[in-house]
Amino acid sequence: MIATLLYEFRMQIRKRSVWIVPALTLVLFVLIGGSLLRDLFDPAERPPEARLAVVGLAVQIHALLSIGFGCLLADRLVRDDRLRVAPILDATPASPGARLVGKYLGAGAATAVPIAVAFFGFATAYAGSSGSWSALPWALAVFGAVMVPGLLFVAAFALTVPLIMPAPLFRVLFVGYWLWGNVVTPDLMPTLSRTVLNPLGGYPMAALFDFAGIDGDDQWAGPFPGATLNFLRPEPTPLIAWLSIALLLVLAAAALTGGHLARLAERTRS
Amino acid sequence: MRIEIAGLTKTFRGGVAALDGLDLTVPTGMFGLLGANGAGKTTLMRILAGIARPTAGRVTVGGHDLATTAGRHAVQRGLGYLPQDLGVYPDLTARQFLDYVALLKGLDDPTVRRRRVGELLEVVALTGQANRRLRGFSGGMRQRVGIAQALLADPRLLIVDEPTAGLDPEERIRFRTLLSQFAGDRTVLLSTHIVDDIAQTCREVAVLSRGRLAFRGTVESLTREAAGRVWSLTTAGPPPPDGTVVSALPAAEGGMRYRIVAATAPGPTAQPLEPALEDGYLTVAAPERSALNA
Repeated sequence: MIATLLYEFRMQIRKRSVWIVPALTLVLFVLIGGSLLRDLFDPAERPPEARLAVVGLAVQIHALLSIGFGCLLADRLVRDDRLRVAPILDATPASPGARLVGKYLGAGAATAVPIAVAFFGFATAYAGSSGSWSALPWALAVFGAVMVPGLLFVAAFALTVPLIMPAPLFRVLFVGYWLWGNVVTPDLMPTLSRTVLNPLGGYPMAALFDFAGIDGDDQWAGPFPGATLNFLRPEPTPLIAWLSIALLLVLAAAALTGGHLARLAERTRS
Repeated sequence: MRIEIAGLTKTFRGGVAALDGLDLTVPTGMFGLLGANGAGKTTLMRILAGIARPTAGRVTVGGHDLATTAGRHAVQRGLGYLPQDLGVYPDLTARQFLDYVALLKGLDDPTVRRRRVGELLEVVALTGQANRRLRGFSGGMRQRVGIAQALLADPRLLIVDEPTAGLDPEERIRFRTLLSQFAGDRTVLLSTHIVDDIAQTCREVAVLSRGRLAFRGTVESLTREAAGRVWSLTTAGPPPPDGTVVSALPAAEGGMRYRIVAATAPGPTAQPLEPALEDGYLTVAAPERSALNA
């Protein structure tokens, strides 16, 4: 697993698109009016507390860059077959399950590096310009509790779903899912947004970081008046927040297990 | 490592039988496997390498049953495998690719691994290209990387599927020699379309035809299968319809001189010839070839 992790990390981190896609996304976001990223450096506009600023930053970075993150990972598992490397790897005594986990963690970590660089870069710049150095421990905590579980969730599906559909189709469906399941508010249509299954991390943000938007008037978790699927939106408590994180990780593990079993079944047929 | 195959059957979706109740024993040493496209050679090799599962039948390698996970892992620990359709990671260098495969093969000690990778790069004459990305390698160079990765863990069983495809004549000879030297008390299963590769390296050979064993024996006995069936015929017209044309050369006296494998003389002027291995192969594989030509 460690060998695959290291080499998958090495191969993915060298891909130019892993850097270009998030960089372009950020540039476009700022150009079309990503106000928070600019406001972070404006003493008159920036949030009063480092905690609020950092969680708000995490929401924007996570919501934006995770789309590219999922799309960039979509070919990593199926490319072993496309490149015809799979027979060589499958003929080694290394367990296919361990190799899958290594690929998941290695390629996922490499694709997350630019996201982490952007997030911690902005957080550090904010801390420096505002003098609120407490932003840095907050950034670490938010990254671990909000962004990492969401990215692990996305990576598992991005790696394995292309086993049953072409990667380009997955990318299209994934972008649709991301906007529908994370960005759309529940009063507009039935959506997984703001539920315990939300990889954007609404429950950890609300219950662990007491975050209700930069202005304090957004709802990131809990029952949404008039919305469907409210049974997936219990009152946000720290316990439910941890449960939400655990659910994302369990679903990620289920996706990986499904992918592993699908590959074993394919091997039996081939 | 002796390989015992009994009643091996592999049927793909749609009912296509790649292997049909194959029985075969492969002893230690170099062993050749011949057969036309679709005869089942690659499927057999994939099953022996533990990357495909049989539909029915039993395979043991060195006493390990490939039907069990433990058996497959035991075999794979001592296996070198060069697939027919070799692929590499284009974004890694030759050295990195070999290092990665070596790690997967359990060569955990960095010093031992580096030394082994270096030795094999030398063996396949790629030391000077070791730090170049594989993206820029020619087909022949990639094939040499494939050969190197197959030899990484000093395998007890080496399965090579069309190993000399893409190699130039000099590289082919070099690799054949390497295989012969490597064999010793190991088992090397060489599958190829190039009959000369078998003639130059193997004492024993099997011929597959439509997923079944068409022949098993020594290279000499396969050659003898064509005794009395090889003819030379010079004619200005087309080759005779009966029999298989092995070669056709412009004749000094005009027309074409054909080497033909046929049960009876293909013409009144046909002259008998001493058989070669290729003639023997065509003799035992003839039913399949006839069916393919039909």
